[in-house]
Amino acid sequence: MKQLITFLTAMIMTTVLTAQNGKAKTVKTTFHRETSVSIDIQSDPAIVWALLTNASDFPRWNSTVVSIEGQIAPGGKIKLKSTLDEKRTFKLKIKEFVPDQRLVWGDGQGNRVFTLIKNGNEGLTFSMSEKIGGAMFPMYAKMIPSFDQSFEQFAADLKREAELIQSSK
Amino acid sequence: MTVELFNQEFQGILGQLKSFLLRITASVADTEDLIHDTYLRALDKLHTFRGESSLKTWVFTIASNLAKDNLRAQKRWVENVTDITKEAALSNREFFQEAMKIRMTSPNGQYEAREHIAFCFTCISKSLPLEQQLALFLKEVYEFKVNEIAGILGTTEAMVKYYLHTGRSKMIHIFEGRCALISKTGVCHQCSELNGIFNPKQNTQEELMKTEMVRAAEKGDKEHLFDLRMQVLKEIDPFESQASALQLHHLEHNREVMEKYLQKNED
Repeated sequence: MKQLITFLTAMIMTTVLTAQNGKAKTVKTTFHRETSVSIDIQSDPAIVWALLTNASDFPRWNSTVVSIEGQIAPGGKIKLKSTLDEKRTFKLKIKEFVPDQRLVWGDGQGNRVFTLIKNGNEGLTFSMSEKIGGAMFPMYAKMIPSFDQSFEQFAADLKREAELIQSSK
Repeated sequence: MTVELFNQEFQGILGQLKSFLLRITASVADTEDLIHDTYLRALDKLHTFRGESSLKTWVFTIASNLAKDNLRAQKRWVENVTDITKEAALSNREFFQEAMKIRMTSPNGQYEAREHIAFCFTCISKSLPLEQQLALFLKEVYEFKVNEIAGILGTTEAMVKYYLHTGRSKMIHIFEGRCALISKTGVCHQCSELNGIFNPKQNTQEELMKTEMVRAAEKGDKEHLFDLRMQVLKEIDPFESQASALQLHHLEHNREVMEKYLQKNED
């Protein structure tokens, strides 16, 4: 039992350590693709949460978002335009909304999951992942661009903005 | 604290409180009602005042809560408020007749560009979410500290920092795009246009250059220009200044126009 706990702890620590550097990671299978990124942010979770849930303010600080219309609120719907494909508007539903902790938006093709985990150093670990796929995924997989760079930029922009606000007087 | 001492100190902060409430509500009538209600509420709760904050902070907390109750049901204005209200004014002969009468007869009826700068900020700030507008005025104009604003607004210091940063960034962005005084691409020239109407004998450019913000525009430091704009607001009492009668007339007009505009565009 003790060995199992040690092993699991080591696994969790490894995951956390590799995930917190702001580098995106993509795992591909035949029917799915999942991209994730994590980064440590030295700020109050309320600041990060406010940035993530103020739809119209996104383009001001987030260079990967062209626009978001609608309300990022429980049961809300948004129209998102991303720099990944500026001509396309993603119509998304807010599926989970746990203040300062977890936000999920998505459509039939996949979900974007944001999590905030408070750490002991007056900061938090921000993680973002998106899993897309389904039975038809192999047919259009090659047409979907890589999310890696966009995810890394998103995380870096969020860290910069939140820490700027936290350090303001 | 005795009622006598409270009355004395309340009188000392009354000017700032009135100015704050006017800039938040854009309504003279609402400001007067809120002042009245704030005084009565404070008097009623005076026994609970323990001196943990200054009396000014305590009174501003009561006033801000009452203002929030009053404003919560109202729609926020729009960024291009001055375009909409200008168009309405141009098609309203009575507006200019009344304004000219105030200009000619009122001791507080002068037109000064810097007063219009403050007036303009008041109008555009009403396009910000309410908490951002409140935090911005409390910090940048009435010089409360972040922890005091957190107390006044009943929120955390982190959220106050968020409101301040976001509100300030938005206002800088709006003025960068709109204000011809600070930006060559600014689309709004109302300060100059109105100076030409109300002070036809003045050299408008010379008048504008009396304001430090206009002189500093060449350097293009957006943050500094915003601070200088806030300095203009700090120096002006919208109820007592030399241009107060004229600017309050304009403000009343803008409020009426915006209420109709927002009602019309409700959906």
